[in-house]
Amino acid sequence: MDSKHHLISEAYQRRKKGWDKFFKGLFWLAGFISAIFIILIIVFIVRKGIGPFLPSYPGGAYPIGKFLTGFQWRQDSAIYGVAFIVINTIISALGALLISFPISVLTALFITKIAPRSLSRIMTTIVELLAAIPSVVYGVFAAGVIVRWVDSLAAMAGFSTYGGNSLLAVSILLAIMVFPTMTSLAIVAINAVPRELVEGSLALGATTTQTNFRVVLTSAKSGIFAGLILGLGRAFGEATAVSMVAGNSMIGPTFNPFNITRTLTSTMLAGLKETQGLDYDIRFSVGIILMAVILVTNLGIHFVKDRIGRSMS
Amino acid sequence: MKRKLSTLLVVLLVTALMLVACSTDTPAAEAPAETPDPVEEPAEGLSGEIHVYTRDATSGTREAFEGGIGFDKDEETLTASAVETSGNGDMASKVGNDVNGIGYVSLTTDFAANNLKPLNFEGVEPTIENVLSDDYSLKRPFSYVTRAAGDFESDEAEALTRAFIAFITESEEGLSAVDGAGGIVDLSSAKPWSEVAETVDGFDPATDYSGITLRTRGSTSVDKTLKAALEAFQAEVAFEFNMDHTGSGDGFKRVLGEEKDGANAGDIGFASRKFGDNETVSDGMLSGEYCQDAVVVVVESSNPLSEITQQQIHDIIVGQLTTWEEL
Repeated sequence: MDSKHHLISEAYQRRKKGWDKFFKGLFWLAGFISAIFIILIIVFIVRKGIGPFLPSYPGGAYPIGKFLTGFQWRQDSAIYGVAFIVINTIISALGALLISFPISVLTALFITKIAPRSLSRIMTTIVELLAAIPSVVYGVFAAGVIVRWVDSLAAMAGFSTYGGNSLLAVSILLAIMVFPTMTSLAIVAINAVPRELVEGSLALGATTTQTNFRVVLTSAKSGIFAGLILGLGRAFGEATAVSMVAGNSMIGPTFNPFNITRTLTSTMLAGLKETQGLDYDIRFSVGIILMAVILVTNLGIHFVKDRIGRSMS
Repeated sequence: MKRKLSTLLVVLLVTALMLVACSTDTPAAEAPAETPDPVEEPAEGLSGEIHVYTRDATSGTREAFEGGIGFDKDEETLTASAVETSGNGDMASKVGNDVNGIGYVSLTTDFAANNLKPLNFEGVEPTIENVLSDDYSLKRPFSYVTRAAGDFESDEAEALTRAFIAFITESEEGLSAVDGAGGIVDLSSAKPWSEVAETVDGFDPATDYSGITLRTRGSTSVDKTLKAALEAFQAEVAFEFNMDHTGSGDGFKRVLGEEKDGANAGDIGFASRKFGDNETVSDGMLSGEYCQDAVVVVVESSNPLSEITQQQIHDIIVGQLTTWEEL
């Protein structure tokens, strides 16, 4: 009896361990595949992107100093300076966040804490729908509607615009595009704040508003900033829609919101399908710069997040 | 109580926000009705900065435009304040939305739909008739030249080349394919391919040409119209084609010039210009032009301007002329 039981148990144990090993391997494989894609993309972009600056480049190397510090991007005279484009990209994305971040955090608070249940369900659906709209549709909307707003706004301010194609149009467009990402993440984060914290705050005599701002938002900080990072990533990375309203200026940087601008992504996209040689390869170099900009800003946001947490607690 | 108060506050805030949103909406909604006012006022003489729109450096239309206005790419540079557009349609809609804009589009563009006004160039109206009669000068021909008679890989290849040239220059099918791809052709004298085919020397529709590959070389600008024509020709005759286009300079070179027996040799060479004096196209079996590519300078439709000279548009493009008053 005892030995029989032992036998069954051993076979069962072996089978169980076998399955366990199999699934462990499967997880490793999944992790490996996703990691390999990131590595593949980075290696490919870096290899292609560094090419134009190496002496072995056909037609001669493009000076890397001129590329990194240049304030002109002129394909027609083969001048490729990326410095002003980096500044433009950061300005347009920050402008978008400036418009979008407060609205999305307040919307998330409204949906989770203030709105009646039925309304909050409708609002959640609306936010999700916004997230599902393809970027090219936003682009068409921007090229048809937002530019008109900007144009009439500029006319009121006494500026003449290039048909509304401008830095401001890019920022408004990006603000609308990053809004659903940031709001959804903020909703999740706010819902995850323990009830006890909120009730404790109310029990201590804090008003709902005080509780919402001082307790709920600070506790949900991590998730809200995760949304901010994702939103910023989208703002930096959006190419199609931005290209439709940026105007692609050849010099810069652009500080006047009614002037045309040029972002890293719109630079990579403009004429991509018809070009070749240096003008094609240097777009990969712009890709490296874009990845670097995103990395640096993400680190910056993490830094800011830690600071905010400390000063509030 | 407090909770109710704050709820009320939020509701008020949202309502206020909505009102603000509405009020910013209003000028936008009225914009189409309102904008014509400030636009039509300066109708006697538009003032302010000229907004130059251009295409990206790889565009064939840009090449045709800059060539046509005497802009020397190597000596001069485009004004740095120009807006770069991504295509003909993008250019059309952007200039159409900018009272101060000036740009250029291909002649086949729908001007009215894009709120554009085509400008007469050097006093000549941009119409298909004026392009075909050579009166309108902001244009370029798409020229072709074939290998010399007897210098083809086979008699069938020579006959097929002859047939294709007849197809693209004389037949209804060929001309309308080119027309559909944006080339400007004279459709009035076109005949059905079945009629044209009979007039081609050495070509017999009953022969099997499916093993023959027609090799086209030269200008990249002819790509679209030529491909359309080659595909339309495949519907009539079974054959293969190979397009390897690298620039107008190679059109003559790879058919009659120094590379005619090289690895990149072709049967028909193309140039998006007239062949030069040193390109002796008379050596070829056939040569000529199969269509025209015309570019039109456009402004927004309310712009009072209706004429422009080559000198004026050239000065605008290089940035010497920057305001409408100077025009």
